[in-house]
Amino acid sequence: MEFKTHTLDNGLTVVGEINKAAKSAAVGFFVKTGARDETLDINGVSHFLEHMLFKGNDRYDAFEVSQAFDDMGAKFNAFTSEENTVYYAAVLPEYLEQAARLWMSLMRPSLRTDDFNIEKNVIKEEIAMYQDLPMFDVLDSCRNLHFDGHPCGNSVLGTVESIDGLTDQQMRQYFDRRYAPNNMALVVAGNVQWQKICAAADELCEKWQHMETERQITDASGSGKTKRKAKPNLVREHICLMSKAVSAQDPQKYAAVILANIIGDSRGSRYYWEIVDKALAETAVMEPDTMDGTGEFFTYIRCGEDKAEQVMTIVNKILKDIEQNGVTDAEIEKARNKILGAMVLKNELPMGRLLDLGLNWNYLGKYIPIDDDIQAIRQVTAGQVHELARQCNISRYTRYSVGPAEK
Amino acid sequence: MQKFDKHVLKNGMVILGEPIEGVKSAAFDFMLPAGTSRLPQGASGAGQVVSDWIFRGAGDYDSKALNDAMDSLGLQRGCSLDNAHITIGAAMEHAKLDAAMGLYADVIRRPRLDEKQFEPARQLAIDGVKAMEDDPRQRVMVELRERFYPEPLGRNPIGRIDELEKLQPGNTALFVTQNFNPANIIVGVAGKYDFDKVCAKMEQLFADMEPAEQPDVQIEKPGPKYTHIPHDGAQVHIGLMTPTVRPDDENYYKVRLAVSVLSGGMSSRLFTEVREKRGLCYAVGASYHALKEAAGIACYAGTLPDSAQETADVILTEFDRLKEGISEAEMQRARAGLKSAMIMQGESSGSRAMAIGGDYYMLGRIRSIDEIREKVDSTTADDVVEFLRNNSFEDFTALTIGPKEIEIKR
Repeated sequence: MEFKTHTLDNGLTVVGEINKAAKSAAVGFFVKTGARDETLDINGVSHFLEHMLFKGNDRYDAFEVSQAFDDMGAKFNAFTSEENTVYYAAVLPEYLEQAARLWMSLMRPSLRTDDFNIEKNVIKEEIAMYQDLPMFDVLDSCRNLHFDGHPCGNSVLGTVESIDGLTDQQMRQYFDRRYAPNNMALVVAGNVQWQKICAAADELCEKWQHMETERQITDASGSGKTKRKAKPNLVREHICLMSKAVSAQDPQKYAAVILANIIGDSRGSRYYWEIVDKALAETAVMEPDTMDGTGEFFTYIRCGEDKAEQVMTIVNKILKDIEQNGVTDAEIEKARNKILGAMVLKNELPMGRLLDLGLNWNYLGKYIPIDDDIQAIRQVTAGQVHELARQCNISRYTRYSVGPAEK
Repeated sequence: MQKFDKHVLKNGMVILGEPIEGVKSAAFDFMLPAGTSRLPQGASGAGQVVSDWIFRGAGDYDSKALNDAMDSLGLQRGCSLDNAHITIGAAMEHAKLDAAMGLYADVIRRPRLDEKQFEPARQLAIDGVKAMEDDPRQRVMVELRERFYPEPLGRNPIGRIDELEKLQPGNTALFVTQNFNPANIIVGVAGKYDFDKVCAKMEQLFADMEPAEQPDVQIEKPGPKYTHIPHDGAQVHIGLMTPTVRPDDENYYKVRLAVSVLSGGMSSRLFTEVREKRGLCYAVGASYHALKEAAGIACYAGTLPDSAQETADVILTEFDRLKEGISEAEMQRARAGLKSAMIMQGESSGSRAMAIGGDYYMLGRIRSIDEIREKVDSTTADDVVEFLRNNSFEDFTALTIGPKEIEIKR
């Protein structure tokens, strides 16, 4: 495994982890922009742009973009979060340079008005689709309630109103501000011919203009509010809890991964034995979301409406107990094995490595070899996990529920 | 030339292996011939209950100790149910393979099936059925397959609440575990492993398991052609399914390539016509779905109610239009997509363990990447079109969930 970087004069960094034994390769652009970088009048524009990049430019129209990827048999897509917009493709090694060149070209899109207008419908269909998925609905609503005015509470998709109100000019202005070469990284992983990728970047990306970009970074401890939305078409109670966690820059993030695993891994965790094993809820899981300068733990529970309060009493007991008494060494050991097991598998795929490489670069500006991550997980102690639980005050949470209306 | 390993125990249990170079992981899957088709009428869902229950204590381990033992090995566990099998397996760091197989032998051969643990397992199965009602996108395809395939092949493995409520611990255990018949169990192993050691371990763990006769599944008539389930959600979820050839048919690759032209990538016809040109929906796609006894092409679209009729119309038109011709460029993309999906899947131990077992069950052998490559490359657009002209898509089973009913125009 070999690590390389190459930086252009305009600030674009190319990052690569080369593994000649891999059967495939992956390439991606990691743009440091998302819903938290939007104002409410243009809410949803980051995600809208993600769709618009696939519409092409003077060289490729939308259909030709799709064709070009499909010609290579690429597995390609993109996603937008609160703070990152990521474009990626996994291909056979012989196509990597071609796929990388295609993405480089697409990063300078035409953003045509006709495409913008038709894509509004697709985005509104996507909003409707997520409304029919209560698990997403409750997570999105809870994030909004938890961050309560902090930009990390902004919806990634936006609302039907914000999308209707968005103009193509606003979108272009946002693009110019956020898609500067110094605000993104080009990342490659797997079986990569490094020199060819760098030469392509020098050729195709050197004219991109450096721009001053900034992001408002403030921590948030969360509102701690409680809210419920009733929907007549639902059968189950969907509950989301959010409490403060550490940021992606904080070395305690490894302890956060272990803590969430002990409390809410899908099997063998405290939630599992106290709630799922007893069939009080069919799902009760917790995960950390470590973000740029802030972070949160979220819990998702799905159960019968009649069981909701019983389940919440148990959840409160678990969280308070860990805050007061910490966790056992045996729990640390089990969580560590599960996490390391999952890491081995994920890291065998270039696509899995790509995401870690790109996100680490955006958050930390540096490369973290797999062995360092493994080492950091191994070194977490029960004392550190207890301290983190106390410091984050995990039993103080924001709660949002979506469930059936009164019959 | 790609090499596969195979060993058959005296009782008929088949062990297959695919080594993967350069990985540190290993994975295995046990395909237990206890799928939903083998359950008695009125007991659908028993498989779901049992696949949870058998992990609630086995051999010397009680429920907590068994889960702790699996967690200590860092196992990434998987479990799936279909009409033919309950498939249980795990992926792990390769040094843990031996110990993990020992635990799974306990689960398969010596589950405690403690009566006290039956109720929570059943309750979770009931909760799973209720949860599906909150997920119309998943539900539409499950309900569609139930009507498309003749009973009992399409039976939904999740079960029905009224039937789950009637299950008793004694009969539930019997319905399922009597089908844990080694003569029909297939085990797939992939990743980094020593096949001699795997075989020695499997002999030790399973050689004395008695084989049994399993009767063939009796097949009846398929369900209704169009069903609408009213649901006051934001979208209409549309499912369509039409019969086609099985994986063992000589025309199999023609069909897979036709599906790839229809829905292989973002330049494929459905995505282009339904989403890109008309903006009718966000999610639309078709996929090939096969059982050993029957196969179909399934199609899903989720759309706002006002666009639902047009979406269904455009999809059906695209099915018909395939036989009017496929360009060489389209065909080339369909081939590239199909091949790269198959090769990239070969990188993960877990998916390979599953794939070789699946191949063996369907075809009685494992297809190599070279074979797939050759078959895909040698199929021409003319071959596909000629096949479609002689076998056009006439017969569709349809199901919609949402606030508005549509008309299936055939």
